[in-house]
Amino acid sequence: MATLSRYLLYLYPAAHRMEFGEEMSDVLSERQNDIGKRGALARWISNGREIGGLLRGAAQEHLRAATGLYSREEFPIRRMRMRTEFRFPKATPVLMMVILVAVLMAIEKARAIQLSVPPSHQQVGPIQSANFTVVPTFGLLLLLGCVVGAIAWAVAYALRRSGVQRLEELKGGHKL
Amino acid sequence: MESLPLSEPVLLILVSLAEQPRHGYSILKNVEEMSDGRVTLSTGTLYGALRRLLEDRWIERFKEEESSRGRQAYRLTARGRQILRAEVGRLKHLTKMASLRMTPKEM
Repeated sequence: MATLSRYLLYLYPAAHRMEFGEEMSDVLSERQNDIGKRGALARWISNGREIGGLLRGAAQEHLRAATGLYSREEFPIRRMRMRTEFRFPKATPVLMMVILVAVLMAIEKARAIQLSVPPSHQQVGPIQSANFTVVPTFGLLLLLGCVVGAIAWAVAYALRRSGVQRLEELKGGHKL
Repeated sequence: MESLPLSEPVLLILVSLAEQPRHGYSILKNVEEMSDGRVTLSTGTLYGALRRLLEDRWIERFKEEESSRGRQAYRLTARGRQILRAEVGRLKHLTKMASLRMTPKEM
């Protein structure tokens, strides 16, 4: 169990492991020594709880690292947490410009293709619904889902780094 | 106060540290004792909570001088103590209101 727990610690983000890994390992060892004196059932329950706690903790830490959000289960504060040490990353305006240029180029390309095809061209017609099969439709939906997810992640990422919390702190101390 | 009410695990961790500074395993044991075994934190849950409380500056971490290994311990900050006082006051008020409205048989 001790070995398994140590392996499970590797599921945590590296920063968390650096800060708390050794301590957590000590606590897990102490817990093991303690429950070693109890019955088999108590040991199974305790080990199950520890494994579940580590898996859930690792998932929460990754979520927190990616979005700045905490689980509401243990912690009742309901608003998004933001890191105070960053504002917009410097790369954001550059990335936004690249995306804008790509979108404009795609629009121009589409317009050029539209103009190059004569209106009476028989090969290109309106897309018939009958042409859709289940698999391409599913693929399209999956692609759409990925795009929406990526946009949502980008918005959350930008919000996390926007420095709104720092403004709150300047107004009225460390608001929680 | 915006952060109230506290969840039970967080409240118990703060109460545990209000008495004296403690290291991780001591917090786990104390929380279990205080809740008569009803709240049993896993190591993963405890360190998720401690990290959050450290970030919010309700608790702080320091190296235990007594320990030969110099292991890390936690104690309440002034802000953490203030939050805990506010939560205990809120709970006292709730208890008082409930006792005024409930019959002795119900309590």
